[in-house]
Amino acid sequence: MKRALPLAAALASLFAGAALAAAVVGQPAPDFTATDLAGKPVSLAEFKGKTVVLEWHNFGCPFVQKHYKSGNMQALQKKYGGEVVWLAVNSTHAGHQDYESPAQLTKALAGFGAAPTRFVMDEPGKVGHAFGAKVTPHMYIIDPSGKVAYNGAIDDKRSTDPADVKTSKNYVVAALEEMKAGKPVSNASNAPYGCTIKYK
Amino acid sequence: MSSRPRFSFPARLLLLLAGALALAVQAAPVRTERVEAELHAERAAADPGKPATVGLRLRMDEHWHTYWRNPGDSGLPTKIQWTLPEGWSAGPIQWPYPEAQRVGPLMNYGYSDEVMLLVDLTPPADARPGPVTIRADAAWLVCKDICIPEKATLELGFAVGGGEARSSSGSASRFAEARARLPAAPAGWDAQSVIAGNKLTLRVMPPAGSAAPAKAGFFPFRENFVDHPASQAFVRDGNGYRLEVKLVEPVASDVASVAGVFVAESSWPGLPGRKAIELAMPVVAALPAIAAPAGVPSGETGGSLALALAFALAGGVLLNLMPCVFPVLGIKVAGFVRHAHGESRALWMQGAVFSAGVLVSFLALAGLLLALRAGGTELGWGFQLQSPAFVTLLAALFLLMALNLFGVFEMGLFAQSMTSDLSAKGRYADAFLAGILATVVATPCTAPFMGAAVGFTLTQPAPVSLAVFAMLGAGMALPVLALSFFPKALRKLPRPGPWMETFKQVMAFPLFATVIWLAWVLGEQAGNDAVMAMLAGLLVLAVGAWIYGRWAHSESLARLVFAAAFAGAGLWLAWPGANAAPQGQARAETARAGEIDWQAWSPEKLSALRAAGTPVFVDFTAAWCVTCQVNKLVALNREEVVKAFADRGVVALKADWTNYDPRITAALAELGRNALPVYALYLPGQSPPRLLPEVLTVSLVLEALSGLPAPKTAAAANLAPR
Repeated sequence: MKRALPLAAALASLFAGAALAAAVVGQPAPDFTATDLAGKPVSLAEFKGKTVVLEWHNFGCPFVQKHYKSGNMQALQKKYGGEVVWLAVNSTHAGHQDYESPAQLTKALAGFGAAPTRFVMDEPGKVGHAFGAKVTPHMYIIDPSGKVAYNGAIDDKRSTDPADVKTSKNYVVAALEEMKAGKPVSNASNAPYGCTIKYK
Repeated sequence: MSSRPRFSFPARLLLLLAGALALAVQAAPVRTERVEAELHAERAAADPGKPATVGLRLRMDEHWHTYWRNPGDSGLPTKIQWTLPEGWSAGPIQWPYPEAQRVGPLMNYGYSDEVMLLVDLTPPADARPGPVTIRADAAWLVCKDICIPEKATLELGFAVGGGEARSSSGSASRFAEARARLPAAPAGWDAQSVIAGNKLTLRVMPPAGSAAPAKAGFFPFRENFVDHPASQAFVRDGNGYRLEVKLVEPVASDVASVAGVFVAESSWPGLPGRKAIELAMPVVAALPAIAAPAGVPSGETGGSLALALAFALAGGVLLNLMPCVFPVLGIKVAGFVRHAHGESRALWMQGAVFSAGVLVSFLALAGLLLALRAGGTELGWGFQLQSPAFVTLLAALFLLMALNLFGVFEMGLFAQSMTSDLSAKGRYADAFLAGILATVVATPCTAPFMGAAVGFTLTQPAPVSLAVFAMLGAGMALPVLALSFFPKALRKLPRPGPWMETFKQVMAFPLFATVIWLAWVLGEQAGNDAVMAMLAGLLVLAVGAWIYGRWAHSESLARLVFAAAFAGAGLWLAWPGANAAPQGQARAETARAGEIDWQAWSPEKLSALRAAGTPVFVDFTAAWCVTCQVNKLVALNREEVVKAFADRGVVALKADWTNYDPRITAALAELGRNALPVYALYLPGQSPPRLLPEVLTVSLVLEALSGLPAPKTAAAANLAPR
């Protein structure tokens, strides 16, 4: 019976659906190549030597709306836009009702005044799977050497109320400030909150 | 001059009170986009200083769900903010056990359809009697494939009773139901946990006298700790079990105890009506070695997966020899002979298509069974034979097949493969259908001979079950497939000729034999009268078949009409009606001389006998279980065994599952089995019963009884003291 279990588990995992890899803090971040809203290729390798922030994104999710309606996310993007590469990633698959085409997304982003450095269209979900992104918003920070420095939630208040943004502690800001000061990130890994990413 | 009637102050107060009490235990429901929320109180009034339970009932639209206290990979647990009169306090939400909801590669824990979250509200000890209003601001996230945060404000007119708080009608059952879905906190369960790398092992042992469930899943309270979508490996450990759970990395370092909810697949042993328990498991450095599951003789635990698959393959090959299957196969092979001699077209394709038909049918059957079981239906393998209607249908089918083989009428499958030259497409369709037919007729034969093995397979995780069933199908298709690959072997058989017709007719007899056996099963299930009805109906059906065949060359519609009319009349006549007396439960077992005195089993009788310290032997059996009948013949009815039972004062109970009995199904599940035969020996003072193997011998039974006190023989009593 004991020998059957690993095999059964392996068989079961086949049925479990594609498993998610994970970007573990301290390990090198998985490279990826995808396209942006204009259809141009974008890959992680081209930003080597810079700090990269990855923001998993879906306007249909009330948790993401909390940060955009309150202006929180846009403010962060503008504040750190000069120093870091801010990549917003959308892994919603085309069949889902939350899916927005690049044209629709360009318009929506402009409407919100959002300013990510680049916007990655990950409709096949490969980037999300490689990073183990589970929800929107799921935040990652990659340090200039290419290692994952932060993997988790955007802040410490799990809610959909835009008013909560003012009183929450923003983990991304804390991490970025610590990295700037050359200090190790104190809270590098925690549970992200949000809506599930609509993979295929 | 008119003056409006005015209510005096006391009248107004009375009206207010009446109104408040009328509102009493339920506030008006609030409807949001996807949820209907209501606030209920268990009783109309609360006692000062004593908690009173209220419940937030959320009814979600179909396919939408809300979340548990640990929502899993995403989502938000429901929150309630209370506005209470001064001095009142509200306890935490009491969460019913959740269900696991998979979303692609992620896993959430929550509720669908409806959930009632209970909260205890306590008025202060010095609260004055009178009406009060309770307000709840509830907020939740309701999701299907998109998520909508919703909230509702619900008000409840409540009261503090001066003396006895009256309970309200209607709410009592709702609250009882909600409480039954709360995880129980039973005493005496010993549990620990160990974290090694990214693996968490939970070890749960029941108290003496209790059993652990056959399977359970773990829902942790702590968030971002367990890898929610990863499967959990359940393994028996002595009387209890172990669960191996994967953790997310990086693994939390400050874990001193792991707490959560275990949910069984049916009711938790020892806790009728409850499916889940809550346990806190301290983290220890190491766990003791796994103990062999008690009550299962060593060597009978099923072996490794490879062994199970090999056994399934062999069993499948053996199926070819069953009277149900042999005729179909025989005809198929005979058909091959014709083609092997006649043409060099790739015969193996036909064999492959036939095998595909068999495999697909086996997997479909297994899938159906697993789906039904997952849906909560308590089924065992061979369950289909518990229905007199099904037995009758099978008998009719076999009769028709036998008549066809006799040549009474010609129809599709057998005729074409043996006579005309079909197009390739027609041959393949014929081969595939033959494969399906072979499987269908094989099922009643698997139940009697392979019931136990197949039943055991069904308790394994789905992929293991499906793999074993696939091997069973592969084994059954193997001979035909092998022959189709080696037409040379077929050419060794005689060329097509009159012998083929003889062979075809001879094959009808095993099918008739099966009909006779099915008639016996029906007799055990529904009585002699039902057998009469079935046989009469089959006779009429046979007339219909004869009509169909006799005028086969006639183009007239009358032939079809008459054949169909007779067939219909036959089936109607044969159908076991309401007058079919279920004999199973009511049968009086008259003790025949030289046989064990079997009494009817019931859970109450078993408990009473065990409480009195009597050794009990329970035989879970059924008329359609051939292994059971063989065991009776070979072991249980033997003189030595009967004597041993009498000498050692063992009470024998027969649990007859010929007809469906949910008590027996539940009892089998508690023993970790779902197929027959099962022999359970309850020795006084020992908690889980000893389960004997499925195939009995006299020495096996005697050895099992040897633990009991030696009989006082007449010879010993007569021994004169020296």
